[in-house]
Parts: sequence; C-alpha cells; structure tokens
Amino acid sequence: MQKYILRFIYSFILRIFLKLIVGVKFDDASFLEKEEQFVILSNHNSHLDTLSIMASLPSSIIHRVKPVAAGDYFGRNKIISWFSRFFINAILLERKGITKKSSGSPLAAIEKAVDEGYSLILFPEGTRGQPEKMKTLKRGIGIVLSKNKHVKYIPVYMDGMGKNLPKGGALIVPYNAKIKYGTPKTVVSDDSKEIMTQIENDILTLKDELH
Amino acid sequence: MFEKVFQFEVFNNNDLLSVIGLIFGILTFASLLFFAIGKIKPDWNISELKSRTRSWWVMSFIFITATMFSNTISYIAIAFLSFVAFRELYSILGFRDSDRYAILWAYFSIPIQYFLAFIGWYGAFIIFIPVIMFLLIPLRLVLKGDTKGIIKSMSSIHWILMLTVFGLSHMAYFLSLPEIPEFKNGGRGLLLFLVFLTEINDVLQFTFGKIFGKRKIIPSISPNKTWEGFIGGLICTTIIGYLISFLTPLSTFEVLFASFMIAFAGFSGDLVMSSIKRDIGVKDTSTAIPGHGGILDRIDSLSFTAPAFFHFIYYLSY
Repeated sequence: MQKYILRFIYSFILRIFLKLIVGVKFDDASFLEKEEQFVILSNHNSHLDTLSIMASLPSSIIHRVKPVAAGDYFGRNKIISWFSRFFINAILLERKGITKKSSGSPLAAIEKAVDEGYSLILFPEGTRGQPEKMKTLKRGIGIVLSKNKHVKYIPVYMDGMGKNLPKGGALIVPYNAKIKYGTPKTVVSDDSKEIMTQIENDILTLKDELH
Repeated sequence: MFEKVFQFEVFNNNDLLSVIGLIFGILTFASLLFFAIGKIKPDWNISELKSRTRSWWVMSFIFITATMFSNTISYIAIAFLSFVAFRELYSILGFRDSDRYAILWAYFSIPIQYFLAFIGWYGAFIIFIPVIMFLLIPLRLVLKGDTKGIIKSMSSIHWILMLTVFGLSHMAYFLSLPEIPEFKNGGRGLLLFLVFLTEINDVLQFTFGKIFGKRKIIPSISPNKTWEGFIGGLICTTIIGYLISFLTPLSTFEVLFASFMIAFAGFSGDLVMSSIKRDIGVKDTSTAIPGHGGILDRIDSLSFTAPAFFHFIYYLSY
C-alpha cells in the first residue's frame, strides 16, 4: 500500500509540482532501475532536496529507497515521526550522537536498512547550509560504505534549491533549479576519510559541469 | 458548464482555420525540407534546425489548443507562460536573499493581472503593474531593511514584471476586448495575427540572416543580427501581415503599418534580451525548449510586440 502511495505522491503529484511550479529540471535517472543497491549522496540546502530526489527516481524503485533524515527534526514527536516514516519513507537518525562517537549506534539504523537491501538518500553535509556552499562532509556514510563494498554510491548535485526554499524560509519562492546525477561508483578504500574526499570531489565535479 | 469553458466556433470560422492551416502547412514544409536535406546532403549539420522545427510543432500545437477553443484556458495558459518567463529571468539575474519576499509579491501579481484581464477591467489592468506594483515592490524591499544593493533589486524586479507579466498579459486582454459589429474574428483573430506575425518574423529574420547575412547591426550584442536578416524579415513580415489582414478590422494602410511595427518591435525585443544575456554571460536563458534555449529566448519578441500591437489596435478600433 505504502508503495503505491509513495509512487503517486512522488512520481506524479510532486514531480508535476516541482517541474511546473517550482521549476526543477530533472536529470534522467532511469539508469537506477538497473542498480541493485545504492546510496545517493548529495549536497543539501533545502527541504526540497529530499522531495526532489525522490521525485526524480524511477517510480518502480521509489519504495526501495529510504532517505536518511534528522531524527531531532523529522521525528520530534510521534505524529511527525510516523508521517516521516510513512510519507517520506525516512530513516530517522539521531544527529547529535555521531559527533559524540560514544557508541556508534547512530549508524545502526542506516546499517540495518542497508542489510535489509534498501537503497539510501543521504546528505553527507549533515545539515542544510548556506545556498550554493558545501560544508565539510560527515564520515558516517564512509564507514558504512567501506563495510558494504557491494553498495555503490551515486553523487548528485543540486543547484538552486536553497534559493527556492532556504533554511529558515517558510515559503517556496519559485526559482529554476537543477538536479544532476553522476555515474554510480564503487568504494575501494577502507579508510572512511579517503572515501569522503572522493565523494566530495565527485559532487564538486558535478557542480562544475552544471555551471 | 462545458459550453461555458469551451467554445468551438473556430471550426465555423474559415479565417481562423485558414491561418491555422497555413501554420501547419509551413511546419510540414519545413519538416519535409529538412528531412530531404538530411537524405541528400547527410554531411550538412542541420540537427539544430531539425530540433528547432520539432519544437515549433510542439509550441504551435500547444498555442493553438490553448487559445482557440477556450477563453478560460487561454487566460490560464498565458498567465502560466508569464510565470515561467518571470521565473526564468529571476533565476538568471542574481538577486539577494533578502529579495525573496518582494519576489513572492511579484509572483502573486501574476494571477491578479490576468484576473483583471479576465474580467475585462481595463483601467485596473493597465495600471496594476506600472503603478501599483511599481509602488509596492520597493515598499516590500524597504520593509526587509537590507539596503545594500536595494536600487538594483527595486529596478530589476519591476522591470522583469513589466517585461514578462505586463507585456505578455496584453495577449490575454485581446480576448476581453468588446465585440465590434461586422468583425467576427474578434480577440482570437487579433491574438492569432499577433503571435503568428511575431513568430514568423523571428523565423524570417533568422532565415534571411543565415542565408544572406553579412553586415552586422550591433556586433557587440549579437553576431547573428544582420541588416540583411532584419530588412528581409521586415519586408516579408509586412507582406504576410497584409495577406492575413482578414484577421483584423484594420484598413490596408493600417494593417501594413501594424505588421511593420510588429516586425520592428519583435526585432527590438530580441535584441534587448540578447543584450541581457550578454551582460550576465549566458548563451540561453535556460534549456526548456530544445533547439531554442529557454522560454524567454522564444517570447522575448512577444513581450515587445504584444503591447505595441495591442495599443495600436486599441486606439484605432476600440
């Protein structure tokens, strides 16, 4: 049931809304249908980011892709938490735990989803920053990828989302935005830092291709 | 309800039908021509011309279905065109983050302007953007309190509104003009006349420029604008305007002048948009229409010809 609701929301309603009103130019993502399991890694400037990536996915795989969202925001109470899990299909992550390095448990939810065969959408910057500026990437996903070498990562760069709906903005002010997909890549290194540098370079390369 | 929204009298109107037929005739001719050239001279690179022609098919089809069968849909469609054009220009001109709320007000003025056209309140329609929005936009910017670069924002936002909303909304107002006895083609005929002449003028200037173009008019703005293209387009457009003058209530002399004016205004609009793109260093305003560039690259001339032709005819006939 959730599968069809997600398809209807993202591939139909949101796709039309984002295309016609917001002005998002989607990239062709049909190649994702052939990928077994992947992690989409993108820059993050707006709440529209997750919705746009979801809407850009081929509708047949939408239910297999889980965005990783901040638990302190998208799970701040029971209703919102249920809403995020059902309508965004989100994995709720406790952001604060990662920096403490205490138990490693924040990654557990992500690892569980990967083990179950889900693909992920993740913003390694951790939070929405200033429009068109990249922050340093968090290492968490590098650790997960180094343990799961069969999972490919796909760099994505989004341009203009932060102008449509910036952090702190309450209303969408339409602005022509773009999503650009890179090619799927496999991780070779075991060092999460090295993996993150590679990912950052891939995203920045896409940025240069757009401009 | 259905009869209220859709009107099919276009099928009983031979004047409109013949011009619509002419449009599709020209498109068929162009498609066949490029197909033949592709077969005879495979080494000529005409892929851009082909994709342009394909886009013309799509645009003509959308324009005709959106404007010929339903008044209500016509207003919505032209309003949407304004919206996309506004968004495109806003996106490339580079505004401050603090301009967002003024921009939002500007977006809201689009449905209002088209609603005024829809109800045919001419007095409000004609002053809403030039006067009311002219006063409101700076006010909204000032309330935000960010003065650094505010002059540029005040002027550009209003200028984009004038170009993409005020200018284009004249296309919609044709449909609200009162009926003239003895003139059955009405607003639809005038709209078709305007859009067809503007676009055929673009095509003719492009074609004459490609074939005969030597002397550049303003090389610092566009290397593709030549005297040969401009004059060739001007003369042909005036002749074509004369040939389809049955769409208008104008006399022969008036229709010749109107067609000449449309050709000239179209050229000016094109030139102005080229200079803006030069200024910010982009070739096309976006990649919305294959072969053409952005929506603005296509309607830049319309935003000049629509008000020019509208006020000419409004003065003479209404």
